[in-house]
Amino acid sequence: MIDFSRVQKELVECGKDVEGSGIKLNIKGDSLARLIGSIPGPIGTPYEGGIFKIDITIPDGYPFEPPKMQFTTKVWHPNISSQSGAICLDILKDQWSPALTLKTALLSVQALLSSPEPDDPQDAVVAQQYLKDYQTFVGTARYWTETFAKASSLGIEDKVKKLAEMGFPEAQARSALDAVGGDENLALERLCS
Amino acid sequence: MALQRKENACEDTNLAENEQEGFSKSFDANLADNEQEEFSESFVCCVCLDLLYKPIVLSCGHISCFWCVHRSMSPLCESHCPICRYPYYHFPTICWMLHFLLLKMYPIAYKRREIQTLEVEKKDDCYSPQFDDDNLVSYVKFDHPSTSSSCYAGNLASNPQNVGLSASMGQSGSETQKQHKGTICLKDVFSGSPEASGTPAQVKMMPQNDRQQKISVADVVCSACKQLLFRPVVLNCGHVFCESCIKNSADEMLRCQICQLPHPRGFPKVCLELDHFIKEQFPQEYAKQRDAIQLRNISDKPETPSCSLNKGGGGKAAWWSDPQSNVHVGVGCDFCGMFPIVGDRYRCKDCKEKVGFDLCADCYKIRSKIPGRFNQQHTPDHEFEVKQINIMQNIMRLVTGQLRDGSIENLPLEGIEFRLEDLDLVGDGDGDGDGDGEHTQNDSEGID
Repeated sequence: MIDFSRVQKELVECGKDVEGSGIKLNIKGDSLARLIGSIPGPIGTPYEGGIFKIDITIPDGYPFEPPKMQFTTKVWHPNISSQSGAICLDILKDQWSPALTLKTALLSVQALLSSPEPDDPQDAVVAQQYLKDYQTFVGTARYWTETFAKASSLGIEDKVKKLAEMGFPEAQARSALDAVGGDENLALERLCS
Repeated sequence: MALQRKENACEDTNLAENEQEGFSKSFDANLADNEQEEFSESFVCCVCLDLLYKPIVLSCGHISCFWCVHRSMSPLCESHCPICRYPYYHFPTICWMLHFLLLKMYPIAYKRREIQTLEVEKKDDCYSPQFDDDNLVSYVKFDHPSTSSSCYAGNLASNPQNVGLSASMGQSGSETQKQHKGTICLKDVFSGSPEASGTPAQVKMMPQNDRQQKISVADVVCSACKQLLFRPVVLNCGHVFCESCIKNSADEMLRCQICQLPHPRGFPKVCLELDHFIKEQFPQEYAKQRDAIQLRNISDKPETPSCSLNKGGGGKAAWWSDPQSNVHVGVGCDFCGMFPIVGDRYRCKDCKEKVGFDLCADCYKIRSKIPGRFNQQHTPDHEFEVKQINIMQNIMRLVTGQLRDGSIENLPLEGIEFRLEDLDLVGDGDGDGDGDGEHTQNDSEGID
């Protein structure tokens, strides 16, 4: 049994401070058990300017068990798998505390982006590059941010149009976009499922 | 069925209240004005993010709900405060003073929390400690607000149901009787602030909002000096004292002056949330109290209790972390709250509740009289049996514990076997000789 009332409170609480923190939480689909978080890349890092989406699954034992988090935006970072988006962060594992929230967890992930721990890597290739050739690492991370994490400049109407051109009915495309908070890739995923 | 429908009805009012507290955008503005009961940030549980219900104050001074604390405790090893990660291994008793304070300040929200919690408790068939129905009713009467809100009327109507719900837990008449006995015992242990707060003559008018006017100094007094609390600390038994009122002898374990229950692990830290609250509610009295205590300290001797971490319970901490000790995974002592029980475990043979009633070796010797921590109707004439540890679980604990330390690589396989034997030896040594030693031997032979 998930404590949905707490998740709901967290959503409201997080929604109040979107401007301050830049951290957003959206419901994915109909259940509160699946959420999408998005964090802005920290300023002064290769991730600056990007918006990173994180897939959140709330386990049954939440908040006594940590939420499962995974990047859906591709990221070049020693502690994040460049393949799967898996995050290596202690508070999402054994250091979780029920007093932490989805928002504080996302803030910690954001902090992880600004201070990588190459000695405890999730992605060995990235970690190697970080340690041996920092300049190339920065270049790659920036390139990945530009390519995968820059918010699409298209408006909602353009996105609907784009999806409609792919052959989906316009109304369905619109509701799918609404449901995932305007992300066209996720909307596409939803339409295809 | 009728009961079912009623419950649904009160669930509806719950939902309505939920909305009041700003969790839903679409609610009637009129309703909001009348029923909204905002509570102070200080009294929001850090785990459920709702108003504290049956609050427990950990020895680090942080507050959480009864079930929130229980669910965040580790069944395998020592637990940590959700906020500051301060380690503890005794499940503290509910702080009844704080409980009644919250009930008085936020009757509607607290009621809603009660109904919510009871729903879950019924589903799990495991209850938190209950208190006297009469007491509850008198509180409700006392707290009757002057606001003439239709919603509140609906809420009042739900009160008899609550009483019904609590009563329905003792199925037969005799069981209800027992439950009452239990509450009486609880009341003995309790600091006596419900009596104090039940005297409206002492009610002080505070220039705060409507409900908070009802709070008086009598609601927040020290169990020892009976004055307004100054820098309150809450012991493992749930009693609240001024920091300066606790007599701390260096060599002995700290004990509550009211109920004599030991407070493990040294001196508790000040409950700052409560301290701030009292300071804001009663600024003049608080300042007076502070001056008085400072004066007393100067005239006596400049001794302020230190907040050192490991005074008293140091010895225990050592054998706690010892992998060879008997750890009863997921079982807690119903007297001192130790969770999991380390050492001998005594289980009551006569308690019928699903959770059971267990005592650690120390508390078994004392023969406690208070009811269990989950409202078990335990009485002193019940008999106990010694329970053996689950060896498999303990091996699991050792392995996971070592994994956590990261030292598993250095641990040869023979090491584990050796430890297993050791474990049995400890079981033999600790057994008080009344037959359980043989059991352990048999068990170990079976395993070998």
